[in-house]
Amino acid sequence: MRKGVLEYCILSILEGEDKYASEILEALKDAKMLVVEGTIYPLLTRLKNAGLLNYRWEESTSGPPRKYYALTETGKVFLSELNTTWDELRTAVNLVTNAKNK
Amino acid sequence: MNKTVDINLANILFHVDEKAYNKLQRYLEAIKRSFAGTPGSDEILADIEARIAELFQEKLENERQVITLKEVDEIITIMGQPEDYMVDEDIFDDVPKTENTGSTPRVKKLYRDMDNKYIGGVCAGLEYYLGFDALWIRLIFIFLALFTGFGFIAYILLWILVPEAATTSQKLDMKGEPINISNIEKKVKEGFDGVAERVKNVDYEKVGNKVKDRGRTFFDALGDIIMFFFMVIGKFIGILLIIIGAATLIGLFVGLFTVGILDVIHIPGLDFYDMVNSTDAPVWLVTLLTFFAVGIPFFFLLYLGLKILVNNLKSIGNIAKFSLLGLWLLSIIILAILGIKQATAHAYTGSTRQDEVLFADKTPDTLLVRMKSSELYSYQEDIGFDGMTLTRNEEGERVLFSDDVHFDIQQSEDSLAHIHIRRDADGSTFEEAEARAGKIDYVYGLDGNAVVLNDYITTAIENKVRDQQIHINLLIPVGTVLQFDPSTRHKLGWATHYDEDLYPSDVPDYSWIMQSDGKIHCLDCPADVYKKERDEDGHIIINKEGVDIDLKDHGDSFKMKIGNDGLHIKSGE
Repeated sequence: MRKGVLEYCILSILEGEDKYASEILEALKDAKMLVVEGTIYPLLTRLKNAGLLNYRWEESTSGPPRKYYALTETGKVFLSELNTTWDELRTAVNLVTNAKNK
Repeated sequence: MNKTVDINLANILFHVDEKAYNKLQRYLEAIKRSFAGTPGSDEILADIEARIAELFQEKLENERQVITLKEVDEIITIMGQPEDYMVDEDIFDDVPKTENTGSTPRVKKLYRDMDNKYIGGVCAGLEYYLGFDALWIRLIFIFLALFTGFGFIAYILLWILVPEAATTSQKLDMKGEPINISNIEKKVKEGFDGVAERVKNVDYEKVGNKVKDRGRTFFDALGDIIMFFFMVIGKFIGILLIIIGAATLIGLFVGLFTVGILDVIHIPGLDFYDMVNSTDAPVWLVTLLTFFAVGIPFFFLLYLGLKILVNNLKSIGNIAKFSLLGLWLLSIIILAILGIKQATAHAYTGSTRQDEVLFADKTPDTLLVRMKSSELYSYQEDIGFDGMTLTRNEEGERVLFSDDVHFDIQQSEDSLAHIHIRRDADGSTFEEAEARAGKIDYVYGLDGNAVVLNDYITTAIENKVRDQQIHINLLIPVGTVLQFDPSTRHKLGWATHYDEDLYPSDVPDYSWIMQSDGKIHCLDCPADVYKKERDEDGHIIINKEGVDIDLKDHGDSFKMKIGNDGLHIKSGE
């Protein structure tokens, strides 16, 4: 069920502002989308390799330099497509579940 | 007190407790392994290390604090176990360019299909594996089960050994592309197409690399072909092993178990087992032991065949394997002991002699030898062993019976006729054998000038079959004329000496007289009896009466005669 949803969430979180891994993690953990942090790193790398994300290095005051991720143009297009798909899916699911509940 | 190790994580220095260091290292190694082969694995690892460094820094209050096992454990809890890092490949199906989708066709595996099952899903699973309709496979199984029993055993075995397709991936494996020639061909073609493409787009700067790549692709294809042939040969051997193993098992099962089970019901001939057996081991035990001793090796053969034929066969488990091995060894040992015991029952041969005078008052001038057949013949049971069979005597008791009785004519040392009867039998001791020999029942009678010999012996069942035999010698005084009743045909032994070139079976046709040299002389034999066309090297005559061969060479002789009364062979020096 989580197929693709995690990626969709990551892309949504990065919409509008650049964030680094810990911030993305923070958001996902608050929403209880993630149980362990390890899962996110391969996802980020793959999204980046797919050309949906890029990143820049930024020095940190405390600790190692941080990778700030941002959506690429492709990523933005892809995200809007995903938004549409998600809305459709949600409507469809609501329709089915509500019909069942009545 | 613990040693500390300095480590560099994302270019930041940490003091780590030695135990904690070892754990952290193992953890990172495990993650690295789980990403092996994934594109960008180095980058992922660097990101993870950076995150761990960040987390450590949050936890440490000052720079001099040492990271202990506790901190490492906390980190691992936050980051997750290596298997949590694995991302289902399917997630990226809709992401372009990330995966080289559909590159390798799945290799089919045999699973039981629980969705389309009738009994255990074996046939439904085979449908995918073999590629033809389950209906036909079911029909074949039913046919084999009805006519040979093989189908039944094969089905049960497959049911036990083939896992059911429970997960989606197993179901996909089950339905995957079949391993056949067209697939191999396709693969080979793909390999060559790859070569062709590379030649077309040849990049001259990297021509060296390309050559290497091309070589590898070509040899990959060649390897596929070779592997395919090995696979075909392997599968063939597998099928052969299955057939051998299953056929033997079924044969054994039907043969031995019916005997073992029918022991409860009385079937004729089975009581013969008791006559022959001297080990006190019941029939069912011997059958069972034989079944194990012969069946277990063939079961392993069958299992091996299945294993070759079917990739993802469940193992029967080491416990099962070793218990079968143990059972087999035990069966062999017990059978060996029983065998030795059985053999010792024949270790000694004992004899008793009976020496009686015939016609005590006056030996007749002409003596007739006659043999008396037994009316017990008609009660004979079909099954015999060692020349003995079971029958019922006049009182209706079951007795052991043998009609292998012969007699010989020899010269008497005095003026009286004698009869010598020697009874032989085997036993585990000499005394036992002798006692058993004494229990052989044999009688003869006198009727006028005739000696009437029974042509059979009997002994009580409890004496068992122990090679009971009887030897009869008639000692005839010199000058007595001998005549034979036709009933003695074929009953004259080889130890009788006579002066005509005849076969023992022909001797009763004529009258004879006992000579002082111990030979009997023919009184009325025609002069040319079997002497036609005879020369020094012998003769071979084939005519209406049959075949008569008599050859002599440097003192060796060979005689064979095939006539109305059967085949006779005699050879000697």
